[in-house]
Amino acid sequence: MKKLLTSAAALAAIGSGAFAADDVTLQLKWVTQAQFAGYYVALEKGFYEEADLNVTIKPGGPDVAPVQVLLGGGADVMVDWMPSALAARENGAPVVNIAQPYKSSGMMLTCLKETGITGPEDFPGKTLGVWFYGNEYPFLSWMGKLDIPTDGSEGGVTVLKQGFNVDPLLQKQAACISTMTYNEYWQVIDAGISADDLVTFKYEDQGVATLEDGLYVLEDSLTDEAFKDKMARFVAASMEGWKYAEENPEEAAEIVLEYDETGAQTMEHQVRMMTEVAKLTAGSNGALDVADYERTVESLLSGGSDPVITKEPEGAYTLEITDAALN
Amino acid sequence: MRPDTTFEKIVWPVGFGLLVLVLWEVIVRVFGVSPAILPPPSAIAAAMAGSLPILWEDWVQTVVKGALNGLWMGTLAALILALIIDRFDFLKRGLMPVANFFAALPIVGLAPIMVMWFGFDWHSKAAVVAIMVFFPMLVNILGGLAAVDPMHRDLMRTYGATHIQTLHKLRGPAALPFLFNGLKIATSLALIGAIVAEYFGSPIRGMGFRITTEMGRLATDMVWAEIVVSAVTGTALYGLVAGIEKRVTFWHPSQRG
Amino acid sequence: MSKIIPVLTVLVALIVIWYAAAVKMNSTWTYDQAERAGSEVTFSELITDTMSQKRPLLPAPHQIVAELWDTTIEKKITSKRSMVYQGSITLKTTLLGFGFGIVIGIALATVIVLSRIGRLTLMPWAIISQTIPIVALAPIIVVLSNAVGTGTLMVPKAIIAAYLSFYPVLVSMVKGLQSPDQMQLDLLKTYGASQSEVFWKLRLPSSMPYFFASLKVSVAAAFVGAVVAELSTSAIAGLGARMLIGSQFGEPMIMWAALFAAAILAAILIFLVGGFEKLARNLMGGRAV
Repeated sequence: MKKLLTSAAALAAIGSGAFAADDVTLQLKWVTQAQFAGYYVALEKGFYEEADLNVTIKPGGPDVAPVQVLLGGGADVMVDWMPSALAARENGAPVVNIAQPYKSSGMMLTCLKETGITGPEDFPGKTLGVWFYGNEYPFLSWMGKLDIPTDGSEGGVTVLKQGFNVDPLLQKQAACISTMTYNEYWQVIDAGISADDLVTFKYEDQGVATLEDGLYVLEDSLTDEAFKDKMARFVAASMEGWKYAEENPEEAAEIVLEYDETGAQTMEHQVRMMTEVAKLTAGSNGALDVADYERTVESLLSGGSDPVITKEPEGAYTLEITDAALN
Repeated sequence: MRPDTTFEKIVWPVGFGLLVLVLWEVIVRVFGVSPAILPPPSAIAAAMAGSLPILWEDWVQTVVKGALNGLWMGTLAALILALIIDRFDFLKRGLMPVANFFAALPIVGLAPIMVMWFGFDWHSKAAVVAIMVFFPMLVNILGGLAAVDPMHRDLMRTYGATHIQTLHKLRGPAALPFLFNGLKIATSLALIGAIVAEYFGSPIRGMGFRITTEMGRLATDMVWAEIVVSAVTGTALYGLVAGIEKRVTFWHPSQRG
Repeated sequence: MSKIIPVLTVLVALIVIWYAAAVKMNSTWTYDQAERAGSEVTFSELITDTMSQKRPLLPAPHQIVAELWDTTIEKKITSKRSMVYQGSITLKTTLLGFGFGIVIGIALATVIVLSRIGRLTLMPWAIISQTIPIVALAPIIVVLSNAVGTGTLMVPKAIIAAYLSFYPVLVSMVKGLQSPDQMQLDLLKTYGASQSEVFWKLRLPSSMPYFFASLKVSVAAAFVGAVVAELSTSAIAGLGARMLIGSQFGEPMIMWAALFAAAILAAILIFLVGGFEKLARNLMGGRAV
């Protein structure tokens, strides 16, 4: 498989007939961490270079909307979650999914057991921490499905915009907070609360999972054959990086740490994150599963009174790139 | 040089502002700038008109509950402390350098800590604002209380005036221009503090919350709508302080001419 | 030197209050943990635990000093974990913004003083600009500079710093350029001096003391601007970004250390600029404003 990918990429490189490597800038959704290990591994291990690509990876952060960077021309391709990408599409930012390295969702709601929450039926009256900045959509559509109002009205939940840490749970300012299986959940554990004191609800188990980290480009750019070829090579090399990272979590974590500009990440945390992330990427060869896409769209459309998107999106994904990359 | 007429004082700046708006609208339309990057002023106006209830709710949360509460708490605390340490020379000499130092610090960095301490609602925002305005107010009030002509003070002493009387009749009024100067700085600090603190966690309303959330949704017209509201609020607060100052300190040389 | 003893007394008092507050604030967590483990907490256990928590609500002063020592002296300067490295990034932003601020401030002041229409048009907007909370604009500034293609965050950060720091320079320069009195202006007129000669030979030199006096305020404003910019633009390096990262990764010690590093850096900056101001004043013959 790996060989096949490499040779496909090499062939593509010859096909394009370019001597100078093509520049590709990738905008991440969040800071440098093992969540994006595949791309860093592909960069460090020279997979991109073999595919005749000169890749620059731009980390994101709490106030960076990858879509805006893409629109502003600051990047060629971005990592984003499908809910926010589709919402942006409806708001006039024509982004298209070209690949989906994450098969499953890692999003959860983590609650303190002492609050008495045992199931979603206990949510009304409680305070729940939610991420915003484009990450609130899965939550809103779940609550919509449960028919629990989020606007603070009777019988509903009080929603907090939580910062990107787990303090609200530790300080008991919220009964539940949003966590990722590979990141914040472990921050709670590390803070000294044992798993027995916690109740978690995985979006995947609740049947409201939406697609997470996928690769998106601007629709206009897909009319350019050279760009499509470049993206095919990029996706192929990235998936090679992902598969390598899945098999070698320790090495992948080390590579991520080297690229971490914040200096706040630790080896222990990154190895654990890589191991958890591997579970989410395991089922994907890079190609978007149309059934997953349809489930995401359906979940977003069904968001009660205030759905995340109002109409069925058209042309929001293309299988062309992954077809070219994987064959 | 002929003096400026009121007419000129209004027409020039307003005309300049309108010119900028027109240029902005034209540039955005001619070059086809994506609305997600820079919306034209007309779209911003439409967004404002279309979401008045939201803007009002955010304004109450951030300005009334966060900024103004913090402003009066910080100012009152500074006033009380200033009056206390004014009585003790030892304290004054010890605290002035420390307060001066703190006044120059980026206290807004305390915002995430205040959110951790006081929770997500307006209390943490008011706390950030209170600390931010406290030190500039303290320094200004203390400076004002010291800004009395020694001759005047001696005169009060020969009258046999008590500390309270001197404070009330002489030093208080003399400190007023300084107090207002501090307030002018404090009002703009208060808005900054209240908005930044919302970046670190908030309920689902407030200007800082709306700015970050709408930015993530690419609804930049809404972001600009909040910016307009914050700008108008900041200017109005400043104008209010300047207006009160004019009425209260009409006797001071800085208000003459 | 009559200040040293009072200042020290105040500082000691602050530290004592701090320790007491640390015990009080961190005790909730200690009790919660003990309850989860089902054990009792004695007083001495309480003190030791509240002084050494990994994620304290309020760290004890010695914890902050230890963290600062660890991240400034013990770490290599080039390390991303070094506060010196992070501080140098903030310093760069500050100085860049400070430089922009001085240029913009002087340029605007010149226009305002030389042209009546310039003054009528620009002065009200200069005042209004300072009442607008710059943080509200931060995300927009980042997006716009990205769209224009500056690539790095340095430019938007410096713009925010400059936005805060130009105003003190502007106000002082307007005052300074207008400081020559009518007699001096008339004298130059009798010499037949042109408008530009009046500006270069009289107005500009007499504005210098005002200019230097404004620098201290301006550099402090630029520094605050740089930190605010790093807090609100998702910067990944710099002291403001450290505070943000400390908050995001649930590492309060990073946050506190960055806060204190920022305080120390601000003190150094203000001290240096203050020294420069004194030096310039002495060179100009000790005329104070």
